[in-house]
Amino acid sequence: MPPSVRFLLQTALLILVYHGCARFVAWADFPIPANVLGLIVLFVLLCTGIVKEKHLAEAAGFFLKHLSFFFVTVGVGLINWGAVFYDYGLVLLLAIVVSSLIPLYVVGVVTQKLGEKR
Amino acid sequence: MQHLTTAFFIVLTAVVYNLVRRLSMRHHNHPLLNIVGLSVATLIGVLLIGDIPYSAYEPASDIITFMLGPATVGLALPLYRYRAVLKRRATALIGTVALGSLAAMVIAALIAHFGGLPREVNISILTKGISVPFALEISEMYGGIPPLAAAFVVATGTLGAIFGGWLLTRFKVGDPVARGLAFGTVSHGQGTAAALIEGEQQGAMAGLAMILAGILTTAMAPAVVFFLDLL
Repeated sequence: MPPSVRFLLQTALLILVYHGCARFVAWADFPIPANVLGLIVLFVLLCTGIVKEKHLAEAAGFFLKHLSFFFVTVGVGLINWGAVFYDYGLVLLLAIVVSSLIPLYVVGVVTQKLGEKR
Repeated sequence: MQHLTTAFFIVLTAVVYNLVRRLSMRHHNHPLLNIVGLSVATLIGVLLIGDIPYSAYEPASDIITFMLGPATVGLALPLYRYRAVLKRRATALIGTVALGSLAAMVIAALIAHFGGLPREVNISILTKGISVPFALEISEMYGGIPPLAAAFVVATGTLGAIFGGWLLTRFKVGDPVARGLAFGTVSHGQGTAAALIEGEQQGAMAGLAMILAGILTTAMAPAVVFFLDLL
């Protein structure tokens, strides 16, 4: 199979898993978002051997390498909220920064310490 | 005309992303040259200078975002490759993410509350560290403002992606498992994307933390909201 066809088929598999889960979540009013459910479903499919690494390695590798790209457009959407950040800017920035900094430190340091003990 | 504009913005986004990415790689991912941060700033700059309304950019954004879900699902692969680590350290990983998520929620809400912000803003900021779909759900349930909650998620993710790696190095956290987990706990998918730039193992752990943080935050939110309403 030519690499380009394989890449497209692998991409189709990712789209199928995600949009299948999105449909299910919408239909069943499932409390877990489609991307997380899709990730869990695909993980289970890999663990049970129904889907093999070679069925998605190139496409998953490519999209993960460029995962940041998909967040660029999401970030541009912040332009709409300039006014809110302007009005309450300092408190909001403080709340976001401090509440990220402390957990970042706690999770990072604790996980590292627990890892060393082994 | 509409289609042409949309196509133009898709190409522009891709070009800006690629240029920034090259620049960033050449300077070893210096935090000020963060790929998402600098690309977003450039594109917002273009819209502001050109006096272009966001609604003109939105269709391009929607098309690109169509692939965000399928790309995220692909995280199953690195998670599968590192499943041995997951199995060996499961309890510790879940416990730490729970602790981190609880701290993130409580600290954000307390600062917002004592900073004099209205309740609906405090509820919206609770979920700033988790993926948008989770955040929307929680915000809706407890009287927040869903679009504002999404904006907080994106702001947190952008800041986390920019400064997370640099901060973790400052904190002397070198273990790739710990770095990835911290990235994913505080800044969801955007942190995961930044962790993936560091390495596959970091990315796998960030993806795991993103899932756990979303689920655990949803589970702990009622208690935090209850506590917040007592203040």
